[in-house]
Amino acid sequence: MSFASDAARPVLPPDQDLGDVTDQIARIPLHFPTRSRWLIALCLGFALFTLFLVSATVLFVRGVGVWGLNIPVNWAFAIHNYVWWLGIGHAGTLISALLLLMGRDWRNSLNRFAETMTLFAVVCAGLYPVLHLGRPWFLYWMFPYPSTMGVWPQFRSPLEWDIWAVLTYLTVSVIFWYIGLIPDLGAARDRARKRGWQVFFGVTSLGWRGSAIHWMRWRQCYRLIAALAVPLVVSVHSEVSLLFASSQIPGWHSTIFPPYFVLGAAFSGFAMVAIIAIAIRALFNLQNLVTDDHLDVLGKVLLATGFMTAYGYVFEIFDALYSSNVHDLQTLQDRFSGTYAWSYWGAVFFNFIVLQGLWWRSVRRTPWTFFTIATSVVIGMWLERYMILVTSLYRDFLVSSWGLYTASFWDWATYFGTIGVFLVPFLLIIRVFPVISIFETKEVLHEEHKEGSHAG
Amino acid sequence: MKTARTPSLQLEKIRQKLHGTRGRTFWAGLEEVADEPDFREWLTAEFPAAAEVPQNGRREFLRLMAASFALAGLAGCSERSRADLAAPFVEQPEYLVPGVPRYYATATMFGGYAQPAIATSYDGRPTKLDGNAQHPIGSSASDVFTQAAILGLYDPDRSNIPLRDGVPATWADFQQAIASFRDHWKSQGGKGVHVLMGHTTSATLIRQWTQFLAEFPQAALYLFEPASDARGGPMHLHHDLSQCDVLVGIEDDVLGPGPQQVSNASAWSSRRGEERPGAERMRMYMAESTPSLTGSVADRRIPVDASRLPDIAAALASAIGVTGPGTVQLSAKEQAWVVAAARDLQQHAGRSLLTIGGQLPLEIQELAPLVNQKLGNAGATVRYSEPFIFMPQHASTIATLVGAMKAGEVDTLIVIDSNPAYSAPGELAFADAMGRVNKRIHFGYHADETGRLANWHLPLAHMLESWSDGRAVDGTVTLVQPVIEPFYNVISVHQALDMLLGVVDPDAATAVRLTWKDRLGDPLGPRWLDALDAGFISGTAVEMDTPFPAANTGTIVTQSLNNQLDIVFRPDPSVWDGRFGNIGWLQELPKPLTKITWDNVVLVSPALAERVVLANGDNVEIAVGNRTVIGPVWIMPGQASNTVTLFLGYGRKNGGHIAGDIGYNAYAVRPASNAWHAVGTLRRAKGEHRLASTQLHHRMDGFDLVREVTAARPALAKPPAQPSFYPEWGGTDVAWAMVIDLDLCIGCNACVTACTAENNVAIVGREQVAMGREMQWIRVDRYYTGDVEDPQSYFQPVPCMHCEKAPCEMGCPVNATVHSDEGVNQQVYNRCIGTRTCSSYCPYKVRRFNWYDYTGGDDPSTIAAHNPDVTVRARGVMEKCTYCIQRIQGAHATADKENRAIKNGEVVTACQQACPTKAIVFGNLNNADSEVAKRRQSGRHYALLEELGTRPRTTYLAQWKDEGEES
Repeated sequence: MSFASDAARPVLPPDQDLGDVTDQIARIPLHFPTRSRWLIALCLGFALFTLFLVSATVLFVRGVGVWGLNIPVNWAFAIHNYVWWLGIGHAGTLISALLLLMGRDWRNSLNRFAETMTLFAVVCAGLYPVLHLGRPWFLYWMFPYPSTMGVWPQFRSPLEWDIWAVLTYLTVSVIFWYIGLIPDLGAARDRARKRGWQVFFGVTSLGWRGSAIHWMRWRQCYRLIAALAVPLVVSVHSEVSLLFASSQIPGWHSTIFPPYFVLGAAFSGFAMVAIIAIAIRALFNLQNLVTDDHLDVLGKVLLATGFMTAYGYVFEIFDALYSSNVHDLQTLQDRFSGTYAWSYWGAVFFNFIVLQGLWWRSVRRTPWTFFTIATSVVIGMWLERYMILVTSLYRDFLVSSWGLYTASFWDWATYFGTIGVFLVPFLLIIRVFPVISIFETKEVLHEEHKEGSHAG
Repeated sequence: MKTARTPSLQLEKIRQKLHGTRGRTFWAGLEEVADEPDFREWLTAEFPAAAEVPQNGRREFLRLMAASFALAGLAGCSERSRADLAAPFVEQPEYLVPGVPRYYATATMFGGYAQPAIATSYDGRPTKLDGNAQHPIGSSASDVFTQAAILGLYDPDRSNIPLRDGVPATWADFQQAIASFRDHWKSQGGKGVHVLMGHTTSATLIRQWTQFLAEFPQAALYLFEPASDARGGPMHLHHDLSQCDVLVGIEDDVLGPGPQQVSNASAWSSRRGEERPGAERMRMYMAESTPSLTGSVADRRIPVDASRLPDIAAALASAIGVTGPGTVQLSAKEQAWVVAAARDLQQHAGRSLLTIGGQLPLEIQELAPLVNQKLGNAGATVRYSEPFIFMPQHASTIATLVGAMKAGEVDTLIVIDSNPAYSAPGELAFADAMGRVNKRIHFGYHADETGRLANWHLPLAHMLESWSDGRAVDGTVTLVQPVIEPFYNVISVHQALDMLLGVVDPDAATAVRLTWKDRLGDPLGPRWLDALDAGFISGTAVEMDTPFPAANTGTIVTQSLNNQLDIVFRPDPSVWDGRFGNIGWLQELPKPLTKITWDNVVLVSPALAERVVLANGDNVEIAVGNRTVIGPVWIMPGQASNTVTLFLGYGRKNGGHIAGDIGYNAYAVRPASNAWHAVGTLRRAKGEHRLASTQLHHRMDGFDLVREVTAARPALAKPPAQPSFYPEWGGTDVAWAMVIDLDLCIGCNACVTACTAENNVAIVGREQVAMGREMQWIRVDRYYTGDVEDPQSYFQPVPCMHCEKAPCEMGCPVNATVHSDEGVNQQVYNRCIGTRTCSSYCPYKVRRFNWYDYTGGDDPSTIAAHNPDVTVRARGVMEKCTYCIQRIQGAHATADKENRAIKNGEVVTACQQACPTKAIVFGNLNNADSEVAKRRQSGRHYALLEELGTRPRTTYLAQWKDEGEES
């Protein structure tokens, strides 16, 4: 699947000088090229961010009743978007850490913004469990602090595992992202002309001099954190799935859930990486660094993870039919033809039908077609999370307690608001930090140059 | 200070006087001194509020000490705010322990009958009503109306001050006015004085009326009770369902809401449920036009259009042989029903019963006594007595009154506790006619539709604030004693009558005592006190040996529909004729069969809905003659195909802020000639209405949620043992459990209202209910199976299951829901942070969440209705059934003090206490003698969703299914 091992084809066009690459990427924060487009995006981000602040205020003042929740559907948008954002976050770590450990060099052009994306997606995800509490001011009761009352959290609860999983994941993601950034911060410092930038990068690069011992230490550390991060991807989303799987609710109570959720997370995450890669490439004219080949390999990965996710769908159906449990069959039927069948068939369509376009090489390599398909997957995965939440809860065991759920204005407002929470810091980061890992890109180029000279 | 002497000196005198008296005599002594000038002087100085106590009212005094001070915080309600009269106890009154409830026997009035009750009062503040088990008809059970009466007491919209032409006035003003009225009346000999009131059985009221009539012989009396189906004719029927092997009902909802519900249901339950050696399970037949509670539990129910019910009755009478062979044509299904019912009636002659509803024409109703006479049921399953609802010869109907008003014959109209401007049949146009009356006086609880039209609107005291009397459905004289000092500026109905009689500053207690002076002797003597203590005067039940007079078999006229529809009227199961419309508990109570809250609907059959193309909530216009009304439709399984049911009690204009402007007013199309049945048309009207129903699906869809057993297979298959990884609970003497016998549940909702009252369950309003956010801790699920035109119906009360292996407990991250050693699944409100995981994980969806701050904005007066033993829940926390943990803990405390174990049956949950059929039992599983342990051994025992391995502590007994013909 990777072409880095394919010696015949270089990852990056080899006809670039190493210094040019540094200049090209480090210039972006220092001499920002596309001010107006970036500002428009930032304005949009701020508008959404304001929407978030307003909806969070309304929520805190009036209570979770402002959402469309009820009994039986007492979890919906908050939990559903929490899972969705967290899933998106996973691709960053996968691309960075897993592919780093596996020595897949093509990642080097993508890992920086993928990691950045992870960071803020996890922040968005992490906001939801707070927002959705009935009494958010008591969030700290989830932590095992030495309470004078001698009360502890309940460690059997998946929610308790959740808070640890997400916080661990966020911490490791921040550390991994920052460590990966240090050499580039050094490079940017060296090129900065203005005093302000010099100080900023000087401080944030933590005295990086690029000495051999620095590089050795750095590499050890980076790989170590990567080795920690990879199992976290699996454990965090497995844990998230247990939020559902450890209940007895038909449609949730299934052993397939952990892998199903992890793969779905990777699937949506890769789609998001593709969206951002294509957008950044166009925004900063980085076609020489994020090449069509990169899109091609991303497309293949997306197709593969898509099929793995589809396996989850197939297995769920099989599971229900094989168990011949009346409640499971009921839920299956509700998904196929119930009130919320649109979310099921929408998920199938946006996740798997549109995805099939990626079988064609030209579709993968054409930015707008790939962008469309990736967007479709992100929407599809959103629908899938909605479907898992709502179609399971709205008709569970007792016919008498079946009820319908409709998202309220504030449900939507909070959700779109979190997109602002994602966009604003993301845009600010790409404004002030190198969007692509300079040294890692150069490393690839250098290797190519060496191989080229050997061959020549 | 008005007195020159020091209070302590006077107090010393009082003490001396009381020295050496104890207990009851002590209080009697206090009573004596209460009238002494010294005492009153001292009282005025020390307790200005208490000085207002009527001179001989010891109970008032006691109550005032507690109640009015406790209520001092209530928002100012009358001319003088009570707040400035408040004073704390300087010395603790003896025997009054703060926080320990006291119980008083009293009664509420319903349809003219007294409903005996025991009021629970905390520090002088009544918080709960339950049945009076000592009463001859009583048990601890009660119905929704009795349960909710407590909230009626604290209704903030209650009228609290006299109004003259809508402007606040004083009672002195009114007494002045009445003095001049009386002079005028007297000059006319009472001519032109017309009095309208509801049904009553109060001997005091009757005595006062007689006195009034003696003074004003030309005065006219009208009796109007919009929802009473009190059977016409000279007899009062007393059914004894406990003696019935076979019950055949034609449009008679004997188990449905009404004054007799509790006694009937409780007798009925003795013949259902457990198989008893020597006593057959009662078999029930029902022919009805619109589904009722009785029809829902009947073994063989047949839907018949209202206009055809006379045919069915006639055919049945003819099959029994009391009338000649009929000429009516019946369908094969109807024929089969009649044949089976007739055969069963005859085979169980002497132990069977035919009842025909009071809503059918009188000549049809008269068939029932004939049949019962012939079968020898009279005297066994049914007995007759003289009627004891006050219906003197001189009283006439509201239609006559309207005629007199239109003719200008009415100079003074006095309406007592009735709201005819709203509830009179629309075609009478009562309100218009009332405009032609010179002096309009209205005594009522609310400044309602009639109150607004009156020159004088005079607020009446709630039953719990009044002295009164009345007769229970068996005729037993039941005493109403106040359990709280009126906290508004109101008077009791007897004071009202006394005012009309010219008594200055009348006293209700005196009036009631005067009535019973002959029977009970000294008004404050031991017999009177004993009667008050018990809540009734023993030995006053009516003689039930009146033979039924020889029947006149009038000709039965079958109506022809001519392509029109049968329109039948029914009192609403929650707000009755509209009088309970402003009680939030009742508005939010899901109606037994539709589960709709906060609305009334137009019931149509599935066939009719298909014909007119209607969906639930579509507006339809009902036309009867030239009068129309528009309301939302509800497609009712089991409704007779051409019958449309309208429910009374909604569409209020001045009902209060809760009754508001909800629902449609069925009175508008109600004919004056026939209160219960009309012929009319239905068409689709514009628009639709969003109905707030708590249950969207009623079809059981093949699940075994309600299980059935038959005589052939009387036991359910035992489920396989389920191993668990988790340790067993136990190690205590007590393991609380509940078993609900589905064969006994009639879906009456008493448990739901009782739970609401006991546990301070919040009322969330129509919009929240429509969103699926109702808060009731126990719900009665209603299912049906089979043909939608003629379905089998089921009720299933669902409180928390208190699972031994509770999924909710595992889900909570902060330990807010935990298990007690005794097996109660506890919810710790102040630990809950509102993740709602417990509810997501709950397979029974019994948990309720405070989405908003539902209780913070409560009116100060409704806060007074709260049970002080139960936390009022704040925003953002989960709540659910606790097995009335406050009662369990109370029993523990008592038992601990007495150094003993909790006795069998010592803890009674609110739902269990209210249940008229004893469908719910609660107790200690570890005690083999407990009813719960015994029921758990039944072959009918099962757990809901037992395959999930949750091991519920709340379990069920399967319903009996009557299968086919008797062998």
